[in-house]
Amino acid sequence: MGSDLVHLTIDGVPVEVPKGTLVIEAAKQAGVLVPHYCYHPGLPVAGVCRMCLVKVEKAPKLQIACATAVAEGMVVDTQHPEAKSARMGVLELLLINHPLDCPICDQAGECELQDFTFQEGRRGTRYSPEFPKRFNPVEDFGPDVLYVPNRCILCTRCVRFMEDVAQEPVLNVSERGDRAYIGVHPEARLDHPWAGNVVDLCPVGSLLSKDFLHKARAWELDKTASICTGCSQGCNVTIDTRENVVVRLRPRSNVEVNRYFMCDHGRVTYRWMNRGDRIEAPLVKRDGSALHATDWDEAFERAATLLRGASGRAVALVSPRASTEALFLARELFSGFDWVGAFQVVMGETAPLPGVPNLALRAERAPNATGAELLGYRRDYAAALQAAESAAVVLVLEEPDIAVRPRGALVYAGTVLPDAARHADLVLPIANVAEEDGTFVNCDGRVQRYFQAKPAPGMARPAWWVFSELLAGLGRGEHLAGASDAFRRLADAAAPFTGLSYASLGLTGKRANLEVGVGA
Amino acid sequence: MAIGVKVLKRPRAQTSYVRATLKGMALTLQHLFRPKVTMQYSEEKATDDWAISRRWRGTHRMLTDEQGRAKCVACGLCPQICPANCIKLVPGEDEQGNRYPLIYEIDEFRCVFCGYCQEVCPEEAIHVGVHYENAEYSRDRFVYDLERLCAQTHAVSTLWDPSDPKGE
Repeated sequence: MGSDLVHLTIDGVPVEVPKGTLVIEAAKQAGVLVPHYCYHPGLPVAGVCRMCLVKVEKAPKLQIACATAVAEGMVVDTQHPEAKSARMGVLELLLINHPLDCPICDQAGECELQDFTFQEGRRGTRYSPEFPKRFNPVEDFGPDVLYVPNRCILCTRCVRFMEDVAQEPVLNVSERGDRAYIGVHPEARLDHPWAGNVVDLCPVGSLLSKDFLHKARAWELDKTASICTGCSQGCNVTIDTRENVVVRLRPRSNVEVNRYFMCDHGRVTYRWMNRGDRIEAPLVKRDGSALHATDWDEAFERAATLLRGASGRAVALVSPRASTEALFLARELFSGFDWVGAFQVVMGETAPLPGVPNLALRAERAPNATGAELLGYRRDYAAALQAAESAAVVLVLEEPDIAVRPRGALVYAGTVLPDAARHADLVLPIANVAEEDGTFVNCDGRVQRYFQAKPAPGMARPAWWVFSELLAGLGRGEHLAGASDAFRRLADAAAPFTGLSYASLGLTGKRANLEVGVGA
Repeated sequence: MAIGVKVLKRPRAQTSYVRATLKGMALTLQHLFRPKVTMQYSEEKATDDWAISRRWRGTHRMLTDEQGRAKCVACGLCPQICPANCIKLVPGEDEQGNRYPLIYEIDEFRCVFCGYCQEVCPEEAIHVGVHYENAEYSRDRFVYDLERLCAQTHAVSTLWDPSDPKGE
């Protein structure tokens, strides 16, 4: 037991936390959520909302749990009648000016003001209904942010995010007292590349995303843990789906990667997940001319024939958006060939978030470039494209840039069919990132899982399944029951992934061993 | 062999049908002078001492504001609460930028007339109506869209009031 640990009791539960921990964080360990508005673990402490008042034994007054550090032998009572009545008072005052427009508010259902009022607020107001509420018109803050001042409870989370985390202080608290509102700099807009986070940070429906406005109600959404595909940072996200349509992405906290944030570029990447022009059945070329829709049995048979009959050079042109499992099995497919694998990465501008070390919108707009590299795929795409001309078999995985007429067979596995792929001998429909389980390796070599959020259209299947079935058809490996089996096979064969499994990766991922190369 | 039948000997007054017939006709005649209870439906839909209950839950009606626009703000509570899943709602914005239903449809065939939609509505917009004459010439006419729901004029249900359980 180190001396830097402090022992205290919260609601009768003994907890042991490092010195300097805040009471509100220690309470989480005791399984107690102290109601709070201004406190956020990713932001500096402000202590302005007074919502987290708790009773601390021997303290003369109630203490705010978010700004009180733990002390040895402290006895905290969050449910003390005095503390509860104080919080009830805070809520009553917050609701003086808060409009009762929950039916039209996008935050309804995930609103902390609703939750805590329901939990410990008054049943009704003591203010006369004739009492006029504060009114200010809706303001347009930036490209994706609307500000509804009437709903604002002035917790200043957005102000502190822009000041201390984004370090572009364009927001402030304007005016004083009951006239206060969040003001934007007269000559600036809230257009920082990470500005969208203020919408997530806002505990009420005051800051709204224009993209999500009126789109869905919070209780209609199904939430799935996933990884952002916007760049190689690999921010952890939650995919919100409504009736199997992705409606938004929100950051999922991972202290090692993105803390509590994600950038605006990543937020809008959900749009292509809902594409309607998907390939829904395997297509085979019959009589050397047009592609015809068929079933998986015929497609696998055709693929096996193509692979058995070929020898010599094989080229794989893959997308760095494909899962690590699919990239691995696609490589396995060509053991025995003179294999060249390559990918290309779309580049963009870098946009760092200054307040969080090692967090940025990376220039490489691909979630799994590191994974592809670890598995032996090269970045020299042009050379591979040239090699493809004379190859016996060319496998394309979800890569639209394939201006190549190979001498040998061309197998295209993808979610959509680009014109360049129309002369393929075989087209295999695969699931996109929202429709399969898999892993990505981010730029720091962190292997992170993503989960299936919605069903794949038609006969489309996860790429790892397609390649594993192909391998099974060739007599090289068993049929796999799930993505975890595919990952196990990858971990057994590829050195950087040794010792990892879906269970050990969990929801936040683990680093791959970048020191070792891929096994032969 | 003859079957033995036991013949009961009863007084004349009991074996004659004349008396019973007269008794029956007397009763029938009495009814001519009693108050009539039959309602001549379709000509007559309510009488002085009987009307359809104010709590009747029939086909829906959307109430409108002074401009004649639906009061609905597309909050999504009625499709959520609906046990029959008969309400289709697509939220959007009107010209003033207010939240407004782009599509609001109720499938009256699917509806079980529970009245939950009226109970849950925070804007007192959607109501079940005191109305039961719904005949149509085609099935698709039973999917009421927003325009039709707003155009209904029948009275709306008061639903059951727990503080006044008997509706008095």
